Amino acid sequence: MNAEERTWKCAKCKKELVIRKTVFSYLGHTVAHEARTCPGCGKVFISQDLAEGRMAEVEEQLEDK
Amino acid sequence: MKLEDATAFTARCLHGEPASCSYACPFHMDIRAFLEKASKGRWLPAYKTLRNATVFPVIVSILCDQPCRAHCQRQLLGDEAIAIGALEAASIRYTKNRKAESYVIPPKNQRIAVVGAGVAGLSCALNLAQKKFGVTVFEKKDGWGGSLRGHPRFAEFDADIALQFSAVRTEFRFGAEVKTLAELAEFDAIYIATGAGGDSFGLLESWGGELQTTSEPRVFMGGELCGASLMEGIAQGIGLSKTIEVFLQTGKAAPTYGDRYDKEKCERYLAHDGAVSAPRVLASSPDGYTEEEAKAEAGRCLQCDCVKCMAACEMLKRFRKAPHTIAVEAYNDMGVNPPFSIHTLTREVYSCNICGYCKSICPESVDMGALLQFSRAARMSAGIHPSALHDFWLREMDFATSEGSFASAPKGKEACAYAFYPGCQLGASSPAHVLKAYEFLREKYDAGILLGCCGAPAYWAGDEKRLHANIDRIRQDWTDLGNPTLVFACATCESIFGMFLSDIKRVSLYELLARSEEMTPVRAFPEAAVFDPCAAREDSAMQAGVRTLAAKAGVGLEELRENNRCCGYGGHMRTANPSLYEEIARNRAGASGKPYIVYCANCREVFASQGKECTHILDMVFGLDSGLRVPSLQEKRDNSLRVKKELMKKNRDVDFEPEIHEWDALVLIIGEDVQKSMDSKLISAADLKEAIWQAEKSGDKFFDESDGMCICSMVKPVTTYWVQYKEAGPGTYEIFNAYYHRMSFNREE
Repeated sequence: MNAEERTWKCAKCKKELVIRKTVFSYLGHTVAHEARTCPGCGKVFISQDLAEGRMAEVEEQLEDK
Repeated sequence: MKLEDATAFTARCLHGEPASCSYACPFHMDIRAFLEKASKGRWLPAYKTLRNATVFPVIVSILCDQPCRAHCQRQLLGDEAIAIGALEAASIRYTKNRKAESYVIPPKNQRIAVVGAGVAGLSCALNLAQKKFGVTVFEKKDGWGGSLRGHPRFAEFDADIALQFSAVRTEFRFGAEVKTLAELAEFDAIYIATGAGGDSFGLLESWGGELQTTSEPRVFMGGELCGASLMEGIAQGIGLSKTIEVFLQTGKAAPTYGDRYDKEKCERYLAHDGAVSAPRVLASSPDGYTEEEAKAEAGRCLQCDCVKCMAACEMLKRFRKAPHTIAVEAYNDMGVNPPFSIHTLTREVYSCNICGYCKSICPESVDMGALLQFSRAARMSAGIHPSALHDFWLREMDFATSEGSFASAPKGKEACAYAFYPGCQLGASSPAHVLKAYEFLREKYDAGILLGCCGAPAYWAGDEKRLHANIDRIRQDWTDLGNPTLVFACATCESIFGMFLSDIKRVSLYELLARSEEMTPVRAFPEAAVFDPCAAREDSAMQAGVRTLAAKAGVGLEELRENNRCCGYGGHMRTANPSLYEEIARNRAGASGKPYIVYCANCREVFASQGKECTHILDMVFGLDSGLRVPSLQEKRDNSLRVKKELMKKNRDVDFEPEIHEWDALVLIIGEDVQKSMDSKLISAADLKEAIWQAEKSGDKFFDESDGMCICSMVKPVTTYWVQYKEAGPGTYEIFNAYYHRMSFNREE
């Protein structure tokens, strides 16, 4: 089973993750994007697809700007 | 940074400069552009280029003796020069509907008198009339043309003059001879162009040459009167119209174009490697070229423009910016004010190998790597550099210059005449290389040891502070050891020392090994090519030493066609531009079908990762076989510490124990694929241990209850690491995945 198909839960709160708008920042710029977060403690989960996909794209654009 | 600081690097670059033909042309016409348009059959644009440069295109195309042809670089290939006159005629013939130039601008109050309606006077008069000045031309004969009036083709010249003047208002007073300049008192400027032997109103002696001034402030002179040829006279008139315009605005006659047209530059020829010889196209008709013939002849133009570096370097080729542009953008980027403006050069700045190859092939030795390194340093000084691009390497350098560093004379001594400086990567890659080389040096030269990092990572990052703090540290260690001659295994270390510690005597390990009779290197391949590291470009002694060793082993050596190109590692550009790095590494590996002998640990690693058969010369020297194995990041750290441990024991009898962290005890099971992925992402096992240890301790992690798989993260200043793992036993974890991102985010509450 690959990581995208799994049902990840927050280990502390034992809750399933929900999608929330999260604010990311890099090099003084902020970007909002949806990410899975724990409804209990607010911990954000970043999958590899997100990190190496959309986030890497935006990071590169911001580095070039 | 001032603009001049950046453009100083590219001042001598020839790209974009006029070609040799343009320097020889009396009109400095952009012949390259004219021929480019003609070659495509774009007759109107070609005609306009000709007309705007020469003012009277028909007269010039018929009468010019084409001094440009003597400097047409086609001749370097043994071909006849481009038939420029015939092509100018073709552009006139094939342009439908030739019109005169005119501008929609408000009329000006100032009035200029032109004395003499020869072509010199007329060209000046026309240009000023086009700018809507009030121009009056005085001519004692009853028509224009001056010395051309008796010419057999005067009818065509007459028509050309009439056409060019047709769109502007000019007052012509024919049959009006000016006897004294007092008659012209009402004019704001006067141009005397009365022809050879004509009246100069007593001012000929005072003629000021290039600016065409006289001792009378608003009176100018030129043309055949002053000894110019017919073509020069027209060109002078054109130039003077601009001078007069400035004079009328400022009261001063100042030059309006700079030194761009130095006559000697007509002899500045380029190398045209690979250009194909092509004979001049012959006209099938006595009336001149057909359109197709003209296009073909114009297509013979080599479009002389130096593009050597841009054609040879993958990085410059990919970004396609010319050197002058790069310099200007490097300066502009320092003044960027987000969000109102953006940087335009960042990615390119960090994609350069800083290898010096462009400089070595440039006819003017322009060093683009030096410019880009300068830009990196300026960005870091200003705090606008993207830290993530070099952070990993700077942390490695910090390790090598602190925990991994060690300086000592041989056992029992306080000072030494020689000391081995292996650099930080050799021992990390292969401890045996350093330990055995040191054994040899200790025996033969009673050498001490200096473990550390030369600072190349800081130089490449533009981190001047770190670089110079480390230079000071090195100098201190070197002084403490009694100022020994340093023996280098790494060409990059040598080049850094050459730049920043040049008073320290240097010799390469390979020369010393080559000198030694007892050294009998083992043959790794029957035939091979030596791949010199880019930093060894100027070091013929090091290059020769390695070749001597290889030859001693009986390897049949082939010389690569291009030497001292960067393997791809240089400048630490891989992080900034992974796809470019792959392209470069692939190209280098493919430069020869023979296996490579290298003498840089990084070159070895690049080629081994490409699956290219290669060996480090030290493997041959010491009878080792490292194969194509590349150690992981963690293994490299461990190797460096092992080297230090052994040498501290050997030289000082001290038991060195590296610093231990609480998470070091964790055991990680990492499959080959995962390990490869981690290495390419610059994630080390130590990073993962720290992340997992913290996550297990705090319970701060995600898990999948179906099989106990966990994911946790660890936030470091520049990077956030994520690792997917499963407990496989007490204190033991199997790693399934590791990745990172640079953006940070806030926890939602």
